[in-house]
Amino acid sequence: MSLLIELPILILMGMGTVFVFSAGANVSSSFNFQKFYSFTTHKQLLFFPLAVCVMYAMAHLDAKRLSFTRAGVVKSYTPYLLALSAILLVLALVPGIGTPKNHSWRWLTLAVGPVKISFQPSELAKWAVIIYMAAILDLCADSLKKYWKRFIPICVVPAIIVALIIGQDFGTAAFILFLAFIMLIIGGATWWHFLTPMPIISAVFYFSIVRFPYRMERIKAFFDADSESSATYHALQSLIAVSTGGILGKGLGRGYSKHGHLPEDTTDFIFAIIGEELGFVGCMFVIGMFVLLTVMSLIAVNRSRNRFCKLLAAGIALTIGLQAAINIGVVTSVLPTKGIPLPFLSAGGTSLLLTAAAAGLLISIARQTEDLTVIDDLYPAMEIVNEPVAAAV
Amino acid sequence: MRINVAVTIILIVVIAVFALLGTRLFYLQKYKADDYEIESQSRQLAIITIKPPRGIIVDRNNNILAASNIVEVVYAEPRLMSDPDVAKLIAGRLSKILGMFGPEILKIIYKSKNPGYVKIKEGVTRIQREAIDKGITNGSLRGIGLMPKWQRYYPTGSLMSHIIGYTGYEEVGLEGLELKFNSQLEGGKGQDIFRVDAHRKPIGLEHSVGNMKEGSSLILTVDSTIQEFTRSALIKQWKAFEAESATAVVMDPWTGAILSLVSVPDYDPAKYSTATDSMRRNRALTDPFEPGSIFKPIVATIGLDCKAFGYNASFFCEHGSYSGKFGTIGEWAGHRFGNLTVYDVLVRSSNIGMAKIGRKIGYKRLHKGIKMFGFGSKTGIDIPGEAAGTVRNLKDWNSYSIRVSFGHEVSVTAIQMVRAYSILANGGSIITPHIVRAIVNGEGQITEIKRPDALTGHVIKTEVANWVVRKPLVGVVADKKGTGKKTALEKWQVFGKTGTANISGRGGYDETNYVASFAGGAPAEKPKIVVLVSVRKPNKSLGKGYSGGMVAAPAVKEIIEKTLTYMENI
Repeated sequence: MSLLIELPILILMGMGTVFVFSAGANVSSSFNFQKFYSFTTHKQLLFFPLAVCVMYAMAHLDAKRLSFTRAGVVKSYTPYLLALSAILLVLALVPGIGTPKNHSWRWLTLAVGPVKISFQPSELAKWAVIIYMAAILDLCADSLKKYWKRFIPICVVPAIIVALIIGQDFGTAAFILFLAFIMLIIGGATWWHFLTPMPIISAVFYFSIVRFPYRMERIKAFFDADSESSATYHALQSLIAVSTGGILGKGLGRGYSKHGHLPEDTTDFIFAIIGEELGFVGCMFVIGMFVLLTVMSLIAVNRSRNRFCKLLAAGIALTIGLQAAINIGVVTSVLPTKGIPLPFLSAGGTSLLLTAAAAGLLISIARQTEDLTVIDDLYPAMEIVNEPVAAAV
Repeated sequence: MRINVAVTIILIVVIAVFALLGTRLFYLQKYKADDYEIESQSRQLAIITIKPPRGIIVDRNNNILAASNIVEVVYAEPRLMSDPDVAKLIAGRLSKILGMFGPEILKIIYKSKNPGYVKIKEGVTRIQREAIDKGITNGSLRGIGLMPKWQRYYPTGSLMSHIIGYTGYEEVGLEGLELKFNSQLEGGKGQDIFRVDAHRKPIGLEHSVGNMKEGSSLILTVDSTIQEFTRSALIKQWKAFEAESATAVVMDPWTGAILSLVSVPDYDPAKYSTATDSMRRNRALTDPFEPGSIFKPIVATIGLDCKAFGYNASFFCEHGSYSGKFGTIGEWAGHRFGNLTVYDVLVRSSNIGMAKIGRKIGYKRLHKGIKMFGFGSKTGIDIPGEAAGTVRNLKDWNSYSIRVSFGHEVSVTAIQMVRAYSILANGGSIITPHIVRAIVNGEGQITEIKRPDALTGHVIKTEVANWVVRKPLVGVVADKKGTGKKTALEKWQVFGKTGTANISGRGGYDETNYVASFAGGAPAEKPKIVVLVSVRKPNKSLGKGYSGGMVAAPAVKEIIEKTLTYMENI
C-alpha cells in the first residue's frame, strides 16, 4: 500500500535528477568540480539522496504530532512551523537578508563556509498552511458552521501568509489560497461562507496583477500568441521542445532546447525537456506516476480513521497532484506562463526537500492505515475489541 | 463520511485534468511535431557554407595571374572583453605578437558593432600563428581567435588589372574575368547544417548538402611578357605627354586572340577598394571615341571592295578647303593637296580626299560597310563592360555625316578598331576578339572554348585587304611623306595609320584636346600582330606634339619590336 506511494515518488525523484543533469549539460557550460555546489546539476545529485533520507525520516514521524486534537495546540509543531514561515517570509523581504532574484524578494541566502545555501520561504509556508488547515479543521470539526466564530478566524492565518507572499510571488500565493479553499471544502465548511471573502480576494488579486507590468504581459501573451514578449518566447520555446519530441522523443540527452533555447529548463520547464527527449511515452509515464501517487494517496485517505490524518494526507496529495497539473499545463501552454516547479522533478533544493518531507508524512499516514495494531483514539471501541478476535480466527 | 466523498470527487477531477493534459500532449507531440520542428529551425539551425578554392587564372604560358590562398584571420570576440582591464591585458599581449600598436587593437575591439566578431588582422606569419595558437590554448588570449579564410591574390599586381578584374567580399567576382566567369571560377559550394545553441554555437552536425566542386580555372590568350611590353611602352608615352588616359591592345589578327590589353590609369586588383572609378575603367572596351584618321583605311577598303573606284582612282582635294551643304572641310596642318590617288589620300591623310571617297561610295554602301566591319555593335569579347560605340542609323545620316569618311560622326572602341585592322591584316575574315582560351575544370580536364572558325566569313575580298595593308598602310610608315614614320623598323615591315582626332565637346570640336592614335601591325607580308595605341588628351602645351604620329607611333614601334623579337625567340 504505502509502497505504491513510495515507488512513484522515488521514480520521479530519480527521473528528476537525470533530467536536471541532462538539461544542465549543454555546450555552453563547462564543469568545474572545485565549485561543485554552484552548479544546479551537481547540486541535484546531492539533493536526491538527501531528499530520500528526509522522506523516510519523516515517514517514521507520527503525523499526529502535528495535530491540535492529539498533541494539543501548544504542544503541536504546527503553530511553530507557521510562525517560522511567517518570520522567514518577512526576513526575505528585508534588504540585506533577502536576496532578490528576477526583481522579486523570494529568497533567503545563508552562507555556510564557502557554500551559499538559498532557501525559498514561500515553499515552507505552503506546507505550513496545509498542515495548519488540516489541524484547525480537525480541531473545529463540529463548529465549522459558525461564520464569525469559526470560518473567519480560520481564514485569517492563510490570509496573512498569502498577503506576505503575493507581492513577490503571485503564483505561489494564488496556489496557497486555492489549496486553503479546497481544504475548507474537504473539511466541511458551509458553501456560502466561501462567497463572502471573494470580493476582497478578487480586488487584491486584480491590483497585484495590474501593479506589476510583467504579470499583465504574461497574461496578455497567453491570449495573444503573436505578441513579441519574452513570455511568448518562453511559451513558444516550451511548445517547440515538447512537440518536436514526438511520440518516442529524441533520446535521453539528445534534446536541443536545453542549449540555451528554453529558459528555466532545469527548473519550471523540466517537463518540456522530458517531452523533447522521451516524447509522448515519457510524458505519459511521468503523468502516470503522478496519477498513481494521487490515487494511492487518496485511497489511503479513505482508509484512514483519523480526521486530522485524512485532511493532512488529502492536502499533501492534492498539493502535489495539482502542482504537477499546473506545471504541465504551463509547459503545454494550456495555462499562462507561471513559475511553479514540478514536484520531485524540477531542480531546486527547497522545493525538493520540503516536498519529500511532506511525502514522508503522507507515507507515514499510509503506513498507519495498513498497520491495524495501531490503536486510534477515534476508533470506535467495538472495533478495537473485535480486532484480536478477528485475528485469532 | 463527508471527507471521503469530497476526496473522491476531487480525485476524479484531478484524474480528469491529467487525462486532458495527456490529450493535449498527444495532440502536440503527434500532430504538431512537424509544425514546431519548422518553427524551431530558425533558432536551432545554422548553416555553414564551405567554399572550395576558387579557380586560378593563368596566361598563355601558364603564369599565374590570379589565385586563392588561405590566410589566417586574427579576430576578437568583443563580448568576452567587456571588462576594460581584461581587454587591455589581452590587447597588450596581442600587440607583442602581431607588432601592432596596442591601443589600435583596443580601438578595433571597442568600435565593433558585432559583439561576436571583429577582424583584427588578416594574414599572419607562421611564428605569429603559433604564438596566438598557444595563447588561445592556455587561455592567455581569451576572446581572440584564428580563422582561415580564402584570399585572392594577384601576383602580377596592376599589370593585368583590367583583364582580370577583382573579387570582393567572400571572393565574389566584381570586375573583369573574375566577374564574367564568376560561376565557373567559384565551383560548387557545400553546406553543413548544424544544430546550434542559443549563442549559435554548434552542438552537432545535422547533415551536409550541396555538391562541393572545385572551381574551374581559366587559361588566357594573354601573354604576360607582351602585356608587360605593351604596358611599359604605353605608360612611357602616357607620362611623357601628361595625357589623361591611354589604352593599347595587341591582337593575333588570324584568331582574334588578345595578346595584351592595357588601359591606364590602372590599379592593383588586390587593393581595388582604393582605386578610383577612373582607374577601374577598362577604356579599351568601355570608352568609345571618335577615331579620326585611323578610320580612313576602313572607308577606303569599303570603297575598293564594292568597286566604287579602282586602285588607281584619283581624287581632287580642293587645295585644302572643301565647302558645301556639309559645311567646310579642311586638311590637317593646313595642307593644300591637289589630285591625290587612293594611296596618297591614305598616306598623307587627306580629309577632303576621304570626303570625296565617301561621296563616291554613297551613304548606303558606306553604312553597310561600316556595320560589316563590326562598328556600332559589341565585339562579343569575353571581358565584361563592353560598349557598342555609335554608328547612327542610315536614315539619321545628313549631309554633315560625310565626315564619317574620315572618322568623325562615329564613335568606336579600341577593341572594335583592333578587330577592324585585324580583318584587314588577315585578308578580310571575321574574327571575334577573345581573351579566354580554355577552361580547366576541378579534375584538370581542359576544355578549349570553341570559336567560329576563323577565315570562314569574309567581310571584304582578300585581294583588297592585302592591297590596303601592303600599299597605303605600309606607305604611311615607309613613304617619306607618310605620317607614321616613327614606327618604322628595320627588321620588319610595319604597316598602319595614324590618327589625331579632335575631341568633340560641348559646342563643337575642341582645338586643344585630341585623341592621338596609331593602328597597325607587322610584318606587312603576313601580319603576326595587330596593335592599337590610343592616347587621350596629350598635353599640347608641352610642345612635344599631340598627333598620332608623335604620341602613339613611338609606343607602337616599341611594342611591335619587342613583341616580334620575343615571339621569334620562343
